[in-house]
Amino acid sequence: MGDEPLLSVRDLRTYFRTDAGTIRAVDGVSFDVRRGETVCVVGESGSGKTVASESITRLIPMPPGEIVGGEVVFDGVDLLSLSDRELREYRGGRIGHVFQNPQGALHPMHTVGRQIVEAIRLHRDAGKREARERAIDLLDRVGIPDAAARFDDYPHEFSGGMKQRVVIAVALACDPDLLIADEPTTALDVTIQAQILRLLCDLQEEFGMSVLLITHDLGVVAEIADRVVVMYAGKVMERGTVYEVLENPSHPYTLALLDCLPGRGGAMRPLGGALPDPRDPPSGCRFHPRCPHAVDECGAGDQPAMGTAGSPGHEVSCVYYHDGYDESAIRERRAADSNEGVGRADGGDGR
Amino acid sequence: MATDAKPSDDASFERVDWDALESEFGGLSRRQTAFLGAMAAFALGVAADVAVGGPLPLLGDPAPLDWLFRLTLLLGTFYVVLPLYDDPRMTRHYWRQFKRNTAAVISLGYLAVVFAVGTVGPTFLPRPELDLLARRQPPVFTSVAADVPTTCAGEVVNGMCHGTWQYPLGTNAQGHDMLHLLVFGMEVSMQVGLIATAIIVVVGTAVGTSAALFGGLVDEVSMRFVDLLLTVPTFFLFILIVYLYGGSLFLMILVFGLLSWGGVARLVRSEALQRSEEEYIRAAENAGASKAWILRRHVIPNVSNTVITAATLTIPFLILAEAGLSFLGLGDPTTFSWGQTIADGRGELAGAWWISTVPGVFLFFTVLAFNFLGDALRDALDPRSEV
Amino acid sequence: MGMGLYVAQRVAWALVATFVMLSLTFGLLAVTPDAQQAQFAFQQAQEGASADEARETYQRVTGKDGPLFDRYKEYMIGMVTGDWGWSHTRSQPAIEAVADAYPYSLMYGIPATVLSVVAGIGIGLYSATHQYTKADYAGTFLAFFGVSIPNFWFGIMLILLFAVHLGWFPSYYDTSHGVWTLANAKQLVLPVIVLSTAAIASQMRYARAESLEYVHADFVKTARAKGASEWRVIRHIFRAASVPISTILVADILGLLFVASYLTEVVFQIPGLGLLSYRAITQNDTALVLATTLIPVFVAIVGNLVQDIAYTVLDPRIDYGDR
Repeated sequence: MGDEPLLSVRDLRTYFRTDAGTIRAVDGVSFDVRRGETVCVVGESGSGKTVASESITRLIPMPPGEIVGGEVVFDGVDLLSLSDRELREYRGGRIGHVFQNPQGALHPMHTVGRQIVEAIRLHRDAGKREARERAIDLLDRVGIPDAAARFDDYPHEFSGGMKQRVVIAVALACDPDLLIADEPTTALDVTIQAQILRLLCDLQEEFGMSVLLITHDLGVVAEIADRVVVMYAGKVMERGTVYEVLENPSHPYTLALLDCLPGRGGAMRPLGGALPDPRDPPSGCRFHPRCPHAVDECGAGDQPAMGTAGSPGHEVSCVYYHDGYDESAIRERRAADSNEGVGRADGGDGR
Repeated sequence: MATDAKPSDDASFERVDWDALESEFGGLSRRQTAFLGAMAAFALGVAADVAVGGPLPLLGDPAPLDWLFRLTLLLGTFYVVLPLYDDPRMTRHYWRQFKRNTAAVISLGYLAVVFAVGTVGPTFLPRPELDLLARRQPPVFTSVAADVPTTCAGEVVNGMCHGTWQYPLGTNAQGHDMLHLLVFGMEVSMQVGLIATAIIVVVGTAVGTSAALFGGLVDEVSMRFVDLLLTVPTFFLFILIVYLYGGSLFLMILVFGLLSWGGVARLVRSEALQRSEEEYIRAAENAGASKAWILRRHVIPNVSNTVITAATLTIPFLILAEAGLSFLGLGDPTTFSWGQTIADGRGELAGAWWISTVPGVFLFFTVLAFNFLGDALRDALDPRSEV
Repeated sequence: MGMGLYVAQRVAWALVATFVMLSLTFGLLAVTPDAQQAQFAFQQAQEGASADEARETYQRVTGKDGPLFDRYKEYMIGMVTGDWGWSHTRSQPAIEAVADAYPYSLMYGIPATVLSVVAGIGIGLYSATHQYTKADYAGTFLAFFGVSIPNFWFGIMLILLFAVHLGWFPSYYDTSHGVWTLANAKQLVLPVIVLSTAAIASQMRYARAESLEYVHADFVKTARAKGASEWRVIRHIFRAASVPISTILVADILGLLFVASYLTEVVFQIPGLGLLSYRAITQNDTALVLATTLIPVFVAIVGNLVQDIAYTVLDPRIDYGDR
């Protein structure tokens, strides 16, 4: 494991030009993925996490999408500066993609075998027989029973969970260094979700690859992430190791996200308000209109610069972590809120 | 998606319950009273025409076709214009959607002019008569060899006959003023397009809803028949029938209308079946509403957008079919259809190029305008469907 | 339901449709006053016979004196066995007149079909995969132009411009040229353009709309994520859209081309099926009118059948109980 991260996204900006105005889906996002680790990007729907992940290999539709700035350095190469032809070597060859909905992710009129073989032969100089053997091996490794027999089946003959396994096999066809998985379990049954996550963990070890997992499920994060990036309205709010972010959540938004979960501090509090209009985001911190701790400075200028919370790698984009502010205000307030919540629950019981 | 209708956004003109909103009189709303009154007046007019058999006071001597055209306009007024007038909020919403499509706005303006001129013009203009002296006059600002027209109405310079404002678009080989022919042709195209479409909408909706309502054998038989109608190229049935029974415009329109409702019926049936699965319909059913009542009050109003769009897109086909038949000489010899005028000019291309050109330009733009309009209506009224 | 049963069902439906159409035309003919009969009666009256006698003679000669059902049976058997009546204007069986004429229709109909399918689908796919670009707008405009222009008038305008004005092509078809001569190819250029314009437009519109359904589909994204080239991605889109496209391909294109060719032949005076039919109409040759209008009807029925069966081959997901 070298010092250099495998993937380094720096100040990435992806906008969509529409009739109704420019949508700043990703507006200055930075994060790293090191070799062999799992990084989770979390956030509500519409926070720009999918666009960010698809911008890495420029899979967003262009037009209307446009990557207006930043760099995506993968193994020393800025992917954004590559031509389409050069980029295709990375897509599927070194970076695999798994999408949210396995129902639509496979071509309905090609056999699953053919789709894996295609992925292999796009990057490897493999003969038909060789590719077929590798495809069957992959199907076997992603847990498709009787892989050789299912090679010639069509996607509609597979269940949702099995389809997702096939999609993963396609993504792994060329031993990628990085697997980008965009909410790979959201569309599946709860029992199947766990299996697919387990599979991803096992495969990561087996293939020795890095995984960038996009999710809104903090339970998933806790289970498999090494490090976490919290996104909100196209900006990174907080990033750090999974322990730092989940055990010592520091940005008010992260706190709010965790508060939405049942079973934490006895309170299951939904986050009030809605995501800002992406065409006209609020000035200052994107979260300040919904933030319980907002002070006047939060609404001024651009998103606050990253400050550190506790440990050096744990960064938070919040004015409370700048010099002259006392970050403990956030935690104290929260502790008070939690107690209040507990108190209310007690009152309910006493009736 | 069809299913996620938001109640707040759905107060469109077609869903508002007029019967309940309007002041009742005699158990009927003002709207229904007016509609029934107009229909009664219409029936009376037709009866009087049949009984007298000659010219009527005030009404003149309308042909069966004129009666049908009036009925079409009546239906259009009550089912399209008035609902839009009654719900200005929704009308504004549609207009905003529609306005985004510049081509469609221009088309609407053009069609409004063609409609107005075609409906009113023929009552004021004399029917074109054979005028041997005025044959093949060139349009104004153009000139042809002086031997093309019988006698040149304008100046003859260097052996070239120049067009005059007397015949701004020239004349044909019978000396008919092209401008007059154009206006009469507008009437034919509008009658064909609108009347036949009205028939298609009425029959298609009736068959579609009955199939959905009764199900079973009725559904099976009517949908098989629709399959047949949609399989067979109707143009050739038009040819055969018009050949066998002679080409009156009245017959042509009836045949067009009665052979082309398959698509609308299928659309209405599938929408009706789909709608009847929806929650609010189930709620009504649970409240004890009869199926027929539900169809009339909930299903038909809800499919009207789809039907209007589909109907608008059949108009260009019908206008082209009439023009084609008239071009073949199968049209009504007593009318001045654009297709016929174009056919007359086919043999005159070398000398009088404008005879085929002028009506064709209008035919083309009329059909184009209806296509643009239908396309924009689909976008504005029926965001669900593509294609 | 298995595939065999499905195909059998579609074939049965085609037979029923044919049967219904034949019966319908018989019904139409049976209740129509016969123009030839009137003419015959007129001649007989001139020769001093009574109108009733004339009618009887005519009906006996033409076999129209039997009971309705017998006549129906005879008509249906005749139609099935290829006895489509006698063309009195051409003094040959109607079916032979048709056989003589159809090579002329194919001569320009086949190039026009190939052109419209290839160009229509090609432009449609390109337009869909390049949505909101100038090329897409141009394609859409072309489609509106093509479906809106009355093809008989378009033909006349082309003749006016290219034949009368510029003199590049002849304005009427000349049968004296051999089939494989340059002169024949030259005089077929304008008819092919006229015929294919509308077909390209309708095909393009449909192909574009269907392809658009898939342009942003997840599997297309998967293909891109695999590293597939744009060309390969377009092939993926086409494969998915080919099923719905094929559903209009056969029937609609055939219908469109038949209608268009009818008018085109009259405009260019090409002695194919359309002109044959047109002349039959103007000369009151009922048997020939019937033959020439029924053929497109049957071709459409067969086209629909072929299309339904093609569907089963193209789409692995088809549920045979569905239709």
